[in-house]
Amino acid sequence: MVEPVNSSFGKMLLEEVSPVVMVLCTPLVEETFLKNGLSFVETLKPFCNFRNIDVPVRTSSDQLYRLKKFTLRLFYASDIRQPNVEVAKQRLEHVITQAGEKDFQDLKFDPPQITDILSNPESEIAPSWFQYYNKELIRTLSFSDHEAFDHPVACLLVVSSKDEEPINKFVDLFNSNRLPTDGTMDPNILKHYLLVHDNQDATTERTSKVLSEMRSQFGSNECNLLCTNSSKEGNVDHQANPWASFKSSVSADKLGCALTGDDIVEIKDLMQEFASRHIIPYMEQKVRELNQQISATRKGFRNQIKNLWWRKGKGDGPDVTKGSMYTYSSTESQIRILGDYAFMLHDYELALSSYRLILTDYDIDKAWKHYAGVQEMMGLAYFISDQSKKESEYCMERAFSTYMKLGKSGFQNALRCGLWWAEMLKARDQHKEAASVYFRICGEEPLHAAVMLEQASYCFVLTKPAMLHKYGFHLVLSGDHYKNCDQVNHAIRTYKSAISVYKSTTWSHIKDHIYFHIGQWYAIVGMHDVAVRNMLKVLDCGYQSKATQEIFLRDFFDIVKKTGMKHEVVGLKLPVINMSSLQVIYEDHRTYASQASALVEESIWQSLEDDIIPSLNSGKSNWLELQSKLLPKKYKESNVCVAGESVKVDLEFKNPLLISTSITSVSLICELTTNSDDLKLVDNEPSSSSLGPEISTEHNQVTTSGFSSFTLSEVDFTLGGGEKNLVRLTVTPSEEGILKIVGVRWELSGSIVGVHYFQSVPVKAKTARGRRKNKLTPTDALKFLVIKSLPRLEGSIDHLPEKLYAGDLRYLVLELRNKSESPIKNLKMKISHPRFLSPGNHEEELTTEFPDCLKKGDEQNIVQHETNRTSSVFAFPKDVSLQGDRSLRWPLWLRAAIPGTISLYYTIYYEMENVSSIMKYRTLRMHYTLQVLPSLQTSFEITPSPSRLQEFLVRMDIVNRANSGCFQIHQLSTVGCRWGISLLQPVDTILPSKSLLAGQALSCFFMIKDCRKSGTEDEEIMSLPPSQTDVKLFTQDDDEKLFDIVSSPLASFHDSERSCQGPSVQVSPNTVDFILISRLAKSSSPSVVPDLPKILTHHSCHNSIRSSSPLSWSLDGPQTIHHDFLTSLCEIKLKMVIRNTSEGLSSVTINTNDCLPDAAAPTSSSGNQSGWRYVPTVTEEMKLTSDVMGSRLGKPPSSMESSPPFIWSGLSSTKVQIQPLSTTEIPLQISVFSPGIYDLSSYKLNWELSEHESATSSGTCQGYPYYLTVLQSE
Amino acid sequence: MANTACFIIVGRNDIPIYEAEVGSAAKLTPILSIWQREDAAQLHQFILHAALDVVQDLAWTTSAMFLKSVDRFNDLVVSVYVTAGHTRLMLLHDSRNEDGIKSFFQEVHELYIKILLNPLYLPGSRITSSHFDTKVRALARKYL
Repeated sequence: MVEPVNSSFGKMLLEEVSPVVMVLCTPLVEETFLKNGLSFVETLKPFCNFRNIDVPVRTSSDQLYRLKKFTLRLFYASDIRQPNVEVAKQRLEHVITQAGEKDFQDLKFDPPQITDILSNPESEIAPSWFQYYNKELIRTLSFSDHEAFDHPVACLLVVSSKDEEPINKFVDLFNSNRLPTDGTMDPNILKHYLLVHDNQDATTERTSKVLSEMRSQFGSNECNLLCTNSSKEGNVDHQANPWASFKSSVSADKLGCALTGDDIVEIKDLMQEFASRHIIPYMEQKVRELNQQISATRKGFRNQIKNLWWRKGKGDGPDVTKGSMYTYSSTESQIRILGDYAFMLHDYELALSSYRLILTDYDIDKAWKHYAGVQEMMGLAYFISDQSKKESEYCMERAFSTYMKLGKSGFQNALRCGLWWAEMLKARDQHKEAASVYFRICGEEPLHAAVMLEQASYCFVLTKPAMLHKYGFHLVLSGDHYKNCDQVNHAIRTYKSAISVYKSTTWSHIKDHIYFHIGQWYAIVGMHDVAVRNMLKVLDCGYQSKATQEIFLRDFFDIVKKTGMKHEVVGLKLPVINMSSLQVIYEDHRTYASQASALVEESIWQSLEDDIIPSLNSGKSNWLELQSKLLPKKYKESNVCVAGESVKVDLEFKNPLLISTSITSVSLICELTTNSDDLKLVDNEPSSSSLGPEISTEHNQVTTSGFSSFTLSEVDFTLGGGEKNLVRLTVTPSEEGILKIVGVRWELSGSIVGVHYFQSVPVKAKTARGRRKNKLTPTDALKFLVIKSLPRLEGSIDHLPEKLYAGDLRYLVLELRNKSESPIKNLKMKISHPRFLSPGNHEEELTTEFPDCLKKGDEQNIVQHETNRTSSVFAFPKDVSLQGDRSLRWPLWLRAAIPGTISLYYTIYYEMENVSSIMKYRTLRMHYTLQVLPSLQTSFEITPSPSRLQEFLVRMDIVNRANSGCFQIHQLSTVGCRWGISLLQPVDTILPSKSLLAGQALSCFFMIKDCRKSGTEDEEIMSLPPSQTDVKLFTQDDDEKLFDIVSSPLASFHDSERSCQGPSVQVSPNTVDFILISRLAKSSSPSVVPDLPKILTHHSCHNSIRSSSPLSWSLDGPQTIHHDFLTSLCEIKLKMVIRNTSEGLSSVTINTNDCLPDAAAPTSSSGNQSGWRYVPTVTEEMKLTSDVMGSRLGKPPSSMESSPPFIWSGLSSTKVQIQPLSTTEIPLQISVFSPGIYDLSSYKLNWELSEHESATSSGTCQGYPYYLTVLQSE
Repeated sequence: MANTACFIIVGRNDIPIYEAEVGSAAKLTPILSIWQREDAAQLHQFILHAALDVVQDLAWTTSAMFLKSVDRFNDLVVSVYVTAGHTRLMLLHDSRNEDGIKSFFQEVHELYIKILLNPLYLPGSRITSSHFDTKVRALARKYL
């Protein structure tokens, strides 16, 4: 640590607390010196600082010491008074303004790095004008009456030799300029007389005469002669001008132009002599005098008691704070003068002791201002004499708080005290404490507070370790205060420094505050570009309140408008671009019919296209070969797009603010290099990618405007608060080459251009549509190889409904168009859901209106559809070729098979003719989504008719599942020729209301008949008229024809339904397929489905006949018999007819059983479900059979238990062979012993079926209940 | 309820990970008359941000987590609680209810630990849990 005396504060103290010399001079003297551009005092000032005066001094003690450094302060007599507060204030303001103007040029530079600030040497951290300001501030407080060190020690009377009657002038000067204050200053001061001789225009004779006169009048010691202006021309140029540091406003080289080096030496000598010969000895003497006097009156025990007693009496009086109570002759003032003089003579021991002496006096007198003043001096004395730190701080603290207690009047003094205190702490490296002192002396006046806060902030940098957060905070506070008193330059300066602290902060409010305000202020001083740069940082302020955001934006746009030009900003935060939403859609050999189809997973398409695009080893290898020949290897990895076809980029913009913003001219930034020089470009690639964003921007602009080799789309939109918008941007290259999408640009409110480069951000792998090429880097994903334009097929389906009811059958037209001149050929189509869509046979096939074309009698449609249904690829006829805007219309049948939301994909493959390109084929991918509403749901139950072997009962349950909408049932048909169907009830009784309301369920019954007579009669059955298979289910419009279910769309849809609904492998013979055709009732509201369906078909396949064992049999016999049991037992003859319904030969054994079915029998005990046993060779129908039997056995009729038994007579076991599809009759007989009702179900049929030579199956059938009533005949 | 102004959790890199204005906004003292009312949030951040310096010094001088009031700006006092992971819970307030503040900090610390235990929470990132927010505000009502 530096010694206190040598610290900057110590030096300052030595200068500030130094003897004051009052200068009185005539106007002619001033005139003489003004030739140099300086007043008299100013001329002398540089020579009042003595570095090494080396004067021996002896004060109170007897020891001599040598005074090394000494300073005199010269003031005009008129200045020796307390300065006017207002004037002082203005002067301070002037100082600040000046400093601000000087800094103005630096404002536009970027804020310094925080490390730079910290590495600066201490002296450079705070601007130099602070020292000056502080000095000026302290000066405003000089000459206060409670302190003595500002009281003049000596008086310098100056008269020019040109003055008339110079001797009288001397006397007049002193008399007219009495000491200004009212009695606190000692009027008996040292007087010194100085005669000024101007060498330019005064004669030496007169001067020497006046001098001798003076010497005789005032004494030779007190008189001096000063000769000046020796240079006649007045153009002396001083190296290291001594006045330059004192007076900066005038150009320094003119100062002292008439003073030669000899003159300066003379002035120097004069002042040195004045100080050492006169002032110091005078003060020395005065100190000794006062010391003696005071020792006599105040020192010693007796004197102190006396003093105390006397004070006590006085202290009871009113609280006197007026300084006037102590005149210069009062003991207290004397002691204070003693102390101050001792201080000025650097005898700090004496000074301290005298200060201590009066401290208590002032305390008792409650003269607080004096008290504080003394405390202050004590603190300084402690500091400069390097004594106890604690004491000095304590003294300053007391002084400060005492001044503060005085209120407004004491504030200025407190200010000076605080400044000194802070300086003192700084000298001791207690910067943190110094900062808090600065903070305390802020006061209310903003300008002053601003300066103090700024000084405080610099203290925080100087603390070890640096307290940067505090530094920033105080700078900001200071800046706000500066702004408040219109010192914008300073405000910007402080904020700029603060930015270096807060640059990377995540404290959002702080960041916004700083950048917003500094931006505003830059705008005030006219640096709009810098203002805009700063304001940009607050635009992304979504967390602020709406009002704040509005203010931010409004000011921002105001400033931007003022700059009058369009700024291009890289990385503008408004709006925010969601890079993960970036999606590039382009078409190479894969083309898309619509936006929706482009967004479908590539894998779906690939699996769909697997068998229609040329396979790897045949077609693909060819064009790969071709490609490798045509293209450098590098391009194989880049994406391919076709000239004239647009590349689309989807990008999401998000408005982070609550205010809506309008964004205009959103477009892509692209580069297209044509083929001719692409090789060159490839070589340059690595270097160009490393270029900065600015340069590549320029490159863009040139490319865009220079060749118009591609066209860009522009999008305008408005984003509401917090909204997101997915924007589709396109670029359409028109030439071959390499297209690169570099970034995106947009205009914000027409004044700011935002630019965002894609490369700088990693593009997610998802965005690359070329998923096959996984090794693609993000940059490559935005790079395209543009190849020569190719024909492109466009396709659409006309009037495809989006919503329809399940079962709805529609006729649609697929329209394909090729706009280019070169033809395409070899069209193929594949549909993902053949169940829903089925292509028609030939172009424009319909002659009659749908749906009438499906009706019977329209002979052309009865032609069976011969297309191979197993593969779902549909090849268009070979002769179909498209070119030159010709369109192909191809019929399509749509049937909504199942309810739900269905995605239909279909892809059309085509090949280009005579185009020598790397692309041989392309595919058109179309994607539609259908919403299928539920409509009628049907279920069928078929049970064998108990009475007829060939006939079956069908129960059809229909439920209307639709939410709204009534359906009319039109027709029910069985598919195939085997089953004939007929109504059981009249149509009217089935459905009296004629339409089925929403939610309504309906059951109706039909009879179906197996038309096959036997295995050999198949051909005959086929020739049966088909009308047998349809049932008309409506009564009105009798002339309306039934639909022909074998016509092409219906039949083909039925085929796919069959394969979807049922087991596709095993086609069981005993199943029936039904098609129910219904239509929407006229009355139902059309709101749900936009266009009304014409017909709906409901296919129900593989409805098996319950109990379809290979056998069916019936027991024929009488129902009721009268018999006279008194005569004999009753023998009843029965006939069992067994039909073999299967295709194989079966042998049947009939076992009759005389015992009653026992409840404990294993078949019945297990109930129903588990009652069947699995026999491996048995077919599935078998299980059903035994199940039915089991359940029947489980609940035998109760009457049976009471009925008397009967016995089977005749054969108890018969075995018969039954040919396939043939019938056998077996006679049976029972004997009944008493009247009653008998259940003749106690028999079993054991059958063994051999369908083929190898496979045999067997099973057991329980008998049906057959009730026989036997009555006693009368 | 006393006037409490602002509660902030500052992560290890001086990044605020949670902010809440709790209680009624404190009066602004005359020296800041130049700041408008709506700037209160900014002022609070500035004060708390500036207090980080002091916390840095103090945190290593004691083993206690609760550092009591570390800094003041006019009437506003900054109380700080430093967790073992050097996450700082900072409260700007003008009441002198030290016990309440201590309990408040301890409870918030527990909540914070629960947040840390969430495997989906990346330490040092902003706490966005609304549950946490409600709990903190409830604690502020209870203790401050």
